[in-house]
Amino acid sequence: MRVGWIVTAGILTLVWLARGLMLPILLAAMLAYLLGPAIIWTDTLAIRRTVAVAMLYVVIITVLVVAGYLLGPGLFAEASTLIDRLPTLTRQADAGLDAAVRELGESAPALRRLLPEGGRWMQRFILDRAPGEPTELFQHAGHLFLLTILVPFFAFFFLRDMHRLIALALNRLPPQHVETSVAVWRELNGAIGRYIRGVVLDGLAVGILAAMGLWAVGVPYPLLLGAFAGVANVVPFVGPLLSAGAAALVVVLTPGQGLAGIVRVVLLFLVIKVVDDTLIQPFTIGGSVHLHPALLLGSVVVGNHALGILGMIVAVPVATVLQETTRLLLEHRRVLARREPRRLPGHLVV
Amino acid sequence: MLEQYLPRWLRWAEDPELVRRAPFLARAPLFAGLPRRLLGRLAPRFFEKTYHPGEIVFHEGDPGRALFVVLEGAVEIVQISAQGEYLLRTLGPGDAFGELALIDDFPRSATARVAHPGRLLILYKSDFDALMEGNAKIAMVVMRNLSRMLAVYARRTSVLAESANRSSREEAP
Repeated sequence: MRVGWIVTAGILTLVWLARGLMLPILLAAMLAYLLGPAIIWTDTLAIRRTVAVAMLYVVIITVLVVAGYLLGPGLFAEASTLIDRLPTLTRQADAGLDAAVRELGESAPALRRLLPEGGRWMQRFILDRAPGEPTELFQHAGHLFLLTILVPFFAFFFLRDMHRLIALALNRLPPQHVETSVAVWRELNGAIGRYIRGVVLDGLAVGILAAMGLWAVGVPYPLLLGAFAGVANVVPFVGPLLSAGAAALVVVLTPGQGLAGIVRVVLLFLVIKVVDDTLIQPFTIGGSVHLHPALLLGSVVVGNHALGILGMIVAVPVATVLQETTRLLLEHRRVLARREPRRLPGHLVV
Repeated sequence: MLEQYLPRWLRWAEDPELVRRAPFLARAPLFAGLPRRLLGRLAPRFFEKTYHPGEIVFHEGDPGRALFVVLEGAVEIVQISAQGEYLLRTLGPGDAFGELALIDDFPRSATARVAHPGRLLILYKSDFDALMEGNAKIAMVVMRNLSRMLAVYARRTSVLAESANRSSREEAP
């Protein structure tokens, strides 16, 4: 018993010391869930896991290189143009806003105190938030580089060794808990896996729809904004708002788009949201999570409060884990309560 | 050169545990008749656990959630009543037990206890259901085997009931 406590304390200390690795480990687990079905398929061919994961990585790297070759230049060009033009665009937008505020002030002088001219709203909102110092930029780039190395590295071992870790854990479990533990593990594993794969597929579909839609309505940087919409879609509720906001901001910063441009963007994202909810999500996320909408929203708010954007992303899987664990344990208790086994003839059973 | 190394590399690239597991499962009556390709699909779904002698795999009345296949060792199926313990069957490598958990949600009808140290393969009900839903051939073969086993249960039940009736009639004055 005492040894158990010492081991638990040791593990907790290790987790605390390695807390900096939590984000890459979490992302690696998500990547492993995403790629899991491919490894399950290679298992059916009895291919050694090391070989299977290595082959999968080669395929992924090839796909990424091809995608980078096809889409990379366009994305890079859009991003460079946007960054180059950002100071000019924000100055133009601020000038436009100042003119509007001036007009508003002339018709309602009381508002002048609330909305002073020369507030440089856009500049404060966009430019002043960007990392200005070179050291800060290097720090961001360093973190990103570390993540791109660490996440696939940890995911490799998750994919290769997870079944061994589970077998190890099963062998440590008292026999009477094995069936329920396996049941809980399989249900959770299935729900989380389906949710993560569904979210990624959904993000991909939304990203493509957004890029095509933005290009069709004439909003600049459709590839960049589409990629952002796909990534932001991972965050429930807030993601679509963020991507619509980013596209609207680009419209505001673009001369000649005007109010009609913003209305077009809002309508486009509304249509995408409706199409996503009614046509895409039933096929991608489907029945992987059965959270009540209030619980879903609540979990996202709590996740944001605890861990920010990362918390919002992991909120739904964590809430699903808690809900499913509770459900299975309650079901287990219910079955135990009606402990009246079927009686079969002697020899063949159970 | 390639001809010399390729077979050796292909052998190394195979997972020895999974390679061993598929033909082993083919010997279990529940999976008899499944082609090798489908056994390959089935094999990775099993969890493996080591048991020590005397350990209880499940008690009579426990919720049933999984099927067990004896990989090594021996398992005794017993029913415990007020009169004492009644050994129903001793299972060895290749034998499966707990298959009724795959069909319904009733509690276990007997206790399974490990007699000799061994390893068991565990197939969770949801995995089995997913496999059946995804593959009609697996569903058909396993259901046919299950039906055969249930038919054997039913015949033996009627034989037992008949002999019990006969002996009670003979004992009656």
